[in-house]
Amino acid sequence: MTQLALKSVSKSFGAYKVFEDLNLAADAGEIVVIFGDSGSGKTILLRLIAGVQEPTSGTIEIAGRDVTDIAPEHRNVGMAFQNFALFPHMSALENIATPLIAQKAGAAAIRAGVDKVAKLLKIDHVLDHAPRELSNGQKQRTALARALAAEPRILLLDDPLRNVDAKLRFEMRIELPQLLRQTGATVLYVTQDYKEAMALGDRIAVLASGNFVQISTPEDIYLKPASLSVARLFGDPSINTSETTIEMNENTVCVRLGGVHIPIDNAYRPYVGDTVTFGVRPEAIELTGPKSTGLAAVVMAVTPLNERVVLLLRTAGSWEFLASFPSSSPNIPKPGANVKATFLSSGTHLFAQATGKRLHG
Amino acid sequence: MGELVLNNVEKIYRPSRKASVHAVKTLNLIVKPGEIAALLGSSGCGKTSILRMIAGFEDVSSGTITLDGKPIHTLPPAGRNVAMAFETYSLYPPLTNGENIAFALKAQKLSAMESSGRVKAIADMLEISDILNKYPSSVSGGQQQRVSLGRALVRDASLYLLDEPMGQLEPRLRAVLRGRIKHYLRENKCTTILVTHDQTEANALADRIAVMEGGVLQQYATPAELKVRPANLFTGTFIGEPPMNVFFADVAAGGKTVIFTIDGGVTLAYPSAELSSDVRKLLSGNPRVGIGIRPHALHVGKGSIVGKVVACQWLGDQTHVAVEVGGRTVVSIVHDLLKAKTGSDIQLNVAAGDLHLFNPETGRAVAHGGDLA
Repeated sequence: MTQLALKSVSKSFGAYKVFEDLNLAADAGEIVVIFGDSGSGKTILLRLIAGVQEPTSGTIEIAGRDVTDIAPEHRNVGMAFQNFALFPHMSALENIATPLIAQKAGAAAIRAGVDKVAKLLKIDHVLDHAPRELSNGQKQRTALARALAAEPRILLLDDPLRNVDAKLRFEMRIELPQLLRQTGATVLYVTQDYKEAMALGDRIAVLASGNFVQISTPEDIYLKPASLSVARLFGDPSINTSETTIEMNENTVCVRLGGVHIPIDNAYRPYVGDTVTFGVRPEAIELTGPKSTGLAAVVMAVTPLNERVVLLLRTAGSWEFLASFPSSSPNIPKPGANVKATFLSSGTHLFAQATGKRLHG
Repeated sequence: MGELVLNNVEKIYRPSRKASVHAVKTLNLIVKPGEIAALLGSSGCGKTSILRMIAGFEDVSSGTITLDGKPIHTLPPAGRNVAMAFETYSLYPPLTNGENIAFALKAQKLSAMESSGRVKAIADMLEISDILNKYPSSVSGGQQQRVSLGRALVRDASLYLLDEPMGQLEPRLRAVLRGRIKHYLRENKCTTILVTHDQTEANALADRIAVMEGGVLQQYATPAELKVRPANLFTGTFIGEPPMNVFFADVAAGGKTVIFTIDGGVTLAYPSAELSSDVRKLLSGNPRVGIGIRPHALHVGKGSIVGKVVACQWLGDQTHVAVEVGGRTVVSIVHDLLKAKTGSDIQLNVAAGDLHLFNPETGRAVAHGGDLA
């Protein structure tokens, strides 16, 4: 059931248009990640939903009710920010209780509400601590608890893991989806970290130049990116690209990379003659010895990346590309090695050069 | 391409009216000619003090530092032939970015042509050719950082000190530049020290990593060794993402089977032959151990470890599966797209050869796989 709906929402500041005609529907209990570069308007979008800013046009509905003209405190929305934003002079308990106090709940109800959410977030043992006595992880949980205390239907989280260290970010990334699901709230989660977006989102809404360029599951977005710009936002290292044209060579459909014809799927035949951007994900590259077939390249450097190893390769035509393998792979080539590269179709995409849209091969 | 030797180096800060701080404790470290070493640790571990002592901005409290066999710790910074890229960039504001880089070549008295050729080559590598005529104040932090890096790399120096050199770069460029810079340092046989708090950066670039904590060198080893043979629980958990899974367990190593009973009730059992007799002997006398298991060594499928799936997160090139076992969450990594429903039961296994055993009190490694540490 749709819990939150944005219908043709636009927002301008004077002549500057932040959004035009945004549409989004999120179900009860769903986690939708709003993903985009800084400056793409992610935070403004949350502020419109919370009611602290007004859309220029369009409507926002919560649980089927138009809330566009309703005050923030009556929207049943909870919000937590990247910088924790706890009141420094209040204990964790008082911080968490603020939305309940604002609702004029009774003392017993306030205590019960705080205890419930504190227990869920495992901070019930530090409720009497002041913010400065809390670790960063506990501060983050306290801010989250405050957003959850009034049991909002809609929970807005603005990059909550931005300012925590890598270890805690990883732990929270594992833990958060389950916690959020237990609340039953519809969650809009803003982040700039593609790993967080893929790990947490039931769906990801990619925001770029004032609109959602793709709204889909993490799997769809990674495997079938709508455009080159979406493809580039996901993956570490991100997708390798090269400008080329689709040609016929000895009756097969090919692209030319560094002077070599690389066969591609026959389904791209309608696009022969088109100028395109060829894209291949680092993990979709296979390397074999110099005598086999494929694109000839030299290994310039080998740089381990956590559980994987990234190789920088260069062709005779000076095209540089990155390939990645599990660290446990046998026979990872050494720096200086001559290799031939082939590309797995699962991670190979062609994008129209004029529009950036992915061609359907 | 000199050899750098730090011999019994100590650093004690003695501020007036405050307690003194022992920032670096009896450090012995050798960086071989042409080697890329990383000083890795969180803030306060002593890595910046070491960097400053090598560069000459800080005196050693005791001990010696030699470069190419020549003591340098008594020389002024300019006399040490050390090139440096600072975390804060420290570019000359009245000079253009190109002039900043060329300035580093002044002392080498090269011809104008040779000098501009070198600046161009470095700028191409770092993708800053288009901003050489601009001033530092008019370019982004990431670009300033690359200019600073260029100014260090363009010189012929005995040693290159790079302080958090790539923190400001956007991810795609960082991945490519890691490869290019590593290739450049190797081609030119540059002896290099990289200072960073980011274990990912250290692993990507360094031949050997010096892991620091509390002013003490914990381990100095290749990235592969640090993964396979961590010296203690600190290095074991500091290196690697997702981090190593750690448990504490009681061991029964007397019979034909070695049984680890992990806190929370889960047991791991292995035929005695899978652990060397030395390890079994050690375990017989020490019935309590810490166990470390790397996420890639924890295999999803069949096995005696049974738990519930807490999260199953696919990141495009790997899946992280979090499983609740005996009240704790463990993480396994699979390199494909794996689908496991949250809340479902799942079995895990780990080979005896992939266990890291630690002394539970001191944290020192006692065994890796079947063999003594």
